[in-house]
Amino acid sequence: MNAVIETHQLHKHFGNIRAINGLDLQVGQGEIYGLLGPNGSGKTTLIRLITGLLHPTDGRIIVLGQPMPHKGVLAQIGYMTQASALYEDLTIRENVAFFAAMCGGVSRQRVNEVIALVDLTDRANSLVRTLSGGMKQRASLACALVHSPRLLLLDEPTVGVDPQLRATFWAYFRRLADEGTTLIISSHAMDEAERCDRLGFIRRGKLLAEGTAVSLRQQSNTPTIEAAFLHFATMEQTENPSQGEANA
Amino acid sequence: MNFQRIFALARRVIQQVLRDHRTIGLLIFVPMLLLTIGALLFRADPTTFPLGVVNEDEGMSIPLVGSLNIGERIVTALQDSAFFEIVPVTAVDTETKLRDGTVQGVLRLPPDFSAQFLENRQAVLDLRLEGSNPTHSQVIQARVMEAATKALAGLASSGFGLGAQSDTPAELPVSINASYLFAGEEFDTMDFIAPVYIALLAMFFVFLLTCVSFLRERSQGTMERLLATPTTRLEIILGYILGLGLFALVQVSIILFFTIWALKIHYLGSLGLLFLVVALLAFVGVSLGMLASAFARNEFQVVQFIPLLIIPQIFLSGTFWAVDDMPSMLQPLAYLMPLTYANWALRDIMLKGFGLVDIWPNLLALFLYGVATVSVGALTMSREVA
Repeated sequence: MNAVIETHQLHKHFGNIRAINGLDLQVGQGEIYGLLGPNGSGKTTLIRLITGLLHPTDGRIIVLGQPMPHKGVLAQIGYMTQASALYEDLTIRENVAFFAAMCGGVSRQRVNEVIALVDLTDRANSLVRTLSGGMKQRASLACALVHSPRLLLLDEPTVGVDPQLRATFWAYFRRLADEGTTLIISSHAMDEAERCDRLGFIRRGKLLAEGTAVSLRQQSNTPTIEAAFLHFATMEQTENPSQGEANA
Repeated sequence: MNFQRIFALARRVIQQVLRDHRTIGLLIFVPMLLLTIGALLFRADPTTFPLGVVNEDEGMSIPLVGSLNIGERIVTALQDSAFFEIVPVTAVDTETKLRDGTVQGVLRLPPDFSAQFLENRQAVLDLRLEGSNPTHSQVIQARVMEAATKALAGLASSGFGLGAQSDTPAELPVSINASYLFAGEEFDTMDFIAPVYIALLAMFFVFLLTCVSFLRERSQGTMERLLATPTTRLEIILGYILGLGLFALVQVSIILFFTIWALKIHYLGSLGLLFLVVALLAFVGVSLGMLASAFARNEFQVVQFIPLLIIPQIFLSGTFWAVDDMPSMLQPLAYLMPLTYANWALRDIMLKGFGLVDIWPNLLALFLYGVATVSVGALTMSREVA
């Protein structure tokens, strides 16, 4: 497998909280990898470690062949944060053009193209603070996409997005993956999991289980992803009860 | 009206403030700090002024009485005065010593000083003043007058029979003929304060603007997004300095033209140089703002930085009290304030017409201050964005 992301025994501790606790992850090119876990399980911390915004306490992260943190690699990464993270007093176009300029080598035409892609062309000149939550989310996605990154990190991109738009988002994610872009999508909505190529169940900073949605359901002998997650979580807790409590 | 609800609200407000340790600290610590600085400044002992004396008086010998040198007597009286520190100066280096600040005034007593006095019964003191600080000029004149009067009064009592015409203080036979190296009589206190007003306003607004913009960048999450692009911290900082510095310059031009044209402030030096100083100060203001915003979690805390970072600067940077007049224990603090260097530079330019050659050390100090603050600011930025 042509690994885009590799982590080895990754640890990130905040004081005595082990946000990431010995995590090994491999994601290949063109994959849509879903990080699934409840709130506070370490999804956002893991994504921020991959971007280099956080430095690991221990272990290694290699992204696109470079050990992180590495500024150069960031030109190849698109990052959509949980909150929409836009300049409220600028227009959509100004926001997208700004982040394009920060990454460099993006044409004006590409800016318009991405805005069209998220279906915001007729609002391109509206101030962000006048937009609805869903529009902000789309504009935020446009900012993460504008420099055509090889790796796209999306932290709960579909939270607060209506079902119709969610379908549009996923259709677009699939298209990007087909073109060779690797996507990491974190979510705590288990129903989205089925759309990912591969899933990682994350809990208390560890990978509980990994695989396609189908294989995870089969392994746990459960009908739904949600039930599969609970199955693996219970299993881990019975194997390792003391550690579970230390982290709680 | 439901008192239970009112108490519950009050309780919630108290809990929130108590949980904010920084606010508690500021509530207790800052007033004490400001009061201490204020008390030290207002109770400051009067400082001594370095005064140059060129005494060329050849004296007079009077038959039956002996020789008389009034010049010498005046110098002795000045030396006895607690207000002056007498520095020997020659007629030739008067201007240079005034210019470089070794002395604040020079009293020149010509060779025929005693002779003239005996002839006219009137002493005219030729006093050359540095002149850029009107308060200093006035105090020096009054003190020189006082010392000279004392010297001449002593003369009367020692039997020269000179006191006869001057029984009442109003008719004292002493007057001062003052001249000024810089500025002069037409300069008033406003002229002295105006340069530092410009500095203060320029720095204050840029500081606040940066603090709030940076804070917003952090709180709305765009800083995190920005740091996840190839953009470096230095680039972000320089971008801010360039962007906000532009507004600082626009603002300063307005302040400048308003003070010069509407308020009729006297102004000697080069406009370009003045802009350079203000540009450097804006640079310092932006970097200080960025640094401060790293320690603030909300706009409320930014406002709290004003009494902590801005008011002491106003007190201690020589804005109203010249640094030399400050109690010696506070003077080292003045050197820690970036505003001090800007004040010195702006006063030298506006009141004395100094050029780059004279003020470059202040510019260098400002520049280094900015660089140091930016470096510390960049370090705090790399503190993981929470």
